[in-house]
Amino acid sequence: MPTSTIYTLIKQLLTKKATNPFPVKYTPNNMHAAASLIESGDLTINPPVELPPDFRGKLSYDVDACIGCQLCLKVCPAEALVFKSEERKVKHYVSRCTFCAQCANICPKDCFEMTEEFLIAGLDKYSDDMILNP
Amino acid sequence: MSYEDWMVRILFVLVLPFIGIFLGLLYKGFDRKITAMMQARIGPPIRQPFRDVKKLFMKENIVPDHAVPWIFNAAPFFALLAPLVALVYLPLGPFEPVMEGYGDLILLLYLLAIPAVAMAVGGLASGSPYATVGAQRELVLMMSYEFPLAIAAVTIAWKYESFSLATISSTPIWGQVGAMGAFGLFLIVIGLFAVLPGELSKVPFDQAEAETELGGGLFVEYSGRNLGVFYLSEAVKMVVVGTLLIALLFPHNLSQWYSFGGPEFAGYVVLNVVADVLFFLLKLLIIIFVGVSVVRVAVARFQIDKASYFYWVPMTLLGLLGTVLVVLEGAI
Amino acid sequence: MSDKDTTYQVPIGPIHPALKEPFMINFRLDGETIVDAEAHPGMNHRGIEFMGMHRNPLKVIPLSERICGICSIVHQHMFTTAVEHAAGIEPTNRARYIRTIMAELERIHSHVLWAGVAAHEIGFDTHLHFTWKVREKVMDLLEYIAGNRVNYSMWTIGGVRRDITEKMYPKVNETLDYYESLYKKLEEIFLGDPSIRLRTKDIGILTEEEALRLCGVGPTVRASGVKKDVRIDQPYAAYGDLDLDYVIPSRYGYENTGDVFSKTLVRLKELVQSIDLIRQCVDQMPEGDIDSEPKKAVLLNKLKKADGEGIGRIEAPRGEAFHYARLKEGQEELDCWKIRASTYNNLTTYAPMFMGEQIADIPIIAACIDPCIGCMDRAEIVEINSGERYSYTHEELHVLSVEKTKKILEGSL
Repeated sequence: MPTSTIYTLIKQLLTKKATNPFPVKYTPNNMHAAASLIESGDLTINPPVELPPDFRGKLSYDVDACIGCQLCLKVCPAEALVFKSEERKVKHYVSRCTFCAQCANICPKDCFEMTEEFLIAGLDKYSDDMILNP
Repeated sequence: MSYEDWMVRILFVLVLPFIGIFLGLLYKGFDRKITAMMQARIGPPIRQPFRDVKKLFMKENIVPDHAVPWIFNAAPFFALLAPLVALVYLPLGPFEPVMEGYGDLILLLYLLAIPAVAMAVGGLASGSPYATVGAQRELVLMMSYEFPLAIAAVTIAWKYESFSLATISSTPIWGQVGAMGAFGLFLIVIGLFAVLPGELSKVPFDQAEAETELGGGLFVEYSGRNLGVFYLSEAVKMVVVGTLLIALLFPHNLSQWYSFGGPEFAGYVVLNVVADVLFFLLKLLIIIFVGVSVVRVAVARFQIDKASYFYWVPMTLLGLLGTVLVVLEGAI
Repeated sequence: MSDKDTTYQVPIGPIHPALKEPFMINFRLDGETIVDAEAHPGMNHRGIEFMGMHRNPLKVIPLSERICGICSIVHQHMFTTAVEHAAGIEPTNRARYIRTIMAELERIHSHVLWAGVAAHEIGFDTHLHFTWKVREKVMDLLEYIAGNRVNYSMWTIGGVRRDITEKMYPKVNETLDYYESLYKKLEEIFLGDPSIRLRTKDIGILTEEEALRLCGVGPTVRASGVKKDVRIDQPYAAYGDLDLDYVIPSRYGYENTGDVFSKTLVRLKELVQSIDLIRQCVDQMPEGDIDSEPKKAVLLNKLKKADGEGIGRIEAPRGEAFHYARLKEGQEELDCWKIRASTYNNLTTYAPMFMGEQIADIPIIAACIDPCIGCMDRAEIVEINSGERYSYTHEELHVLSVEKTKKILEGSL
């Protein structure tokens, strides 16, 4: 008989559960309504787990520091960076980014930085906050 | 029998299916929640089975091209009707069975076999190789677990010299046997608890559905309303089998030991009946917890030949030994 | 009984709960017994090699990670090794050690994950939840070191992109201690539990001769007693400096039966071995740079000038895997990229393992080689006009290869 298994199972009945309750414990009936409630602050969500050091989240781009050398375009595996020739700056599509941080490594002026922001899903991938330097 | 008696019975027969379905879904919710908690998960809310049924009834009902439509569509209803009829013959807590007769127990055993047969027939009629394999497995499994179940039922009926459930549940059997008989009965209890997961198609005896092997087996072609009815059937069956176990072995009522208030208190009778009903629901929960939830998280699924062997040899022998002990004690 | 053919056919796949990825096996069954099994790969072809040949090597590293979700380190490791070999770049010593640590951490994560999948296949969901719960610990460590949970982006050509500093050692040690204390419980579950033993003992047997004949790799054949491990046979990264031995069941007092049970045993023992290897690496970690060419623009230039071909051959958690890369002078993009993942070899071992077993054993046998179809499916032949899928037979392939050799000899290629 698997007695030790049963003992462990009964013990787990009372101990803390391993499921991560982020963002909410049970899926709401209406996702969009819940999302807008969270935006307006009427619904609080469970906090996410702690981020590791040097987490690679949404990219931030310092437009003024950029010199338009196009090195970042050479290493971006997803081709999420597009060069704007008249401005001599780049445009970044967040929805295409794979968060590899190679652009941040190669940039001679350090104008790219990986922020800690990771809740970046949206309904429109061409909205203003989904494109850096549109 | 008086006219009023008949009216009350008809009323009960009309109301019982709804109570049965409600209880079935509720206990399914408990089962899922407890199972999840034992696996260190949060699990679904208790009302999830109700939502599932609602959703299934809203969905399209697809009949595959290779199926025999009328059998395919009729099977789920037979699977649901049989346990609902069985409910009428069962004593639910402090209440006497609505219908009774001389061969209740035998009738019940047959009613319990119908859902399995209906599932197998529906599976064979759906014309999918997975469902065919599942149907074969279901029939093999049914033939295997029926034997220990019948042995247990016959032993208990022998002790009472009656197949009437009302008689059996009126006095608990444990008071009528000595030490040897009690040990025999204990073996029979083990046999009955082993039958429980097989009867309800739960791990380790869910070969007929076997998600990872057959992708749903019997139910692979079922969808929408038909699947919903099967779902309800499974839920009601859980209550029926649990109640049968209670009626056969643990028909105790709380009011036997303790009664709330005295005759001077106005709602005395009602209060005691409510307490008995709650006690019955608790017994059902414990039986489902021990017989279904714990077992299905603590073991792996058996291969079909090993499952069949498990019922035919160890469990049958255990049951027969129990019977011999009970009968011997009666003879001495 | 008449001698009528009583067998029938059941297709498992391309979409089936027993398979985690699109892949198909056609079974011929007699009752519940398998009499014939035929595998049909080619459902998960994504054209990754083709994509890689239109990008420069630095762009291909994140792409190679995404060949497979579980062995993302394996593929970037092989790819970078192949390109380094082709371009004559040497990774630094410290980078070799960091690569080894990461590869071993991934082996722990992969094996624990596999144990959960195996438990699920035999209908034991409790242990699926248990193993995946304990796997979070190593995922957390990988995230702590690499910055992300699944696609680590750690590798670069000539080294690694992130260091494992002294500050990180306590967390590494804590995780290793956790798995060391956990191992006893895992062994109790997967080797001791009676219902699991019932489902794994003497199921899916692969004999030593069959294993050698079919060129299986990794834990699949080590369970049959074949001593085959790239980490020892042809050391790469820092394995040459470390003390390790072949993990085969007979070393631990079991028989080399090659059934699912011994495959489980080998994977569990490799877990212990990995913990040991990481400890050795942490102890011997050399000082120095982690990247031989931190200036990536310079590196890109170097790669553009490089000419040659290279191979990366490593022991993935599933067995030996292999990348081939060719660079051409003056061309930024890869000239050629070829991947051969371990599942490609192990798939052939299905045939002897399935024969004579029951339907109920299909999922666990299918899972016991730890198949990764995403890694494996590198080619699919589709008739352009009709859209019909087609596979070459052994004879046709032979004719084609003879023709190709002739062309090469004539110098026309």
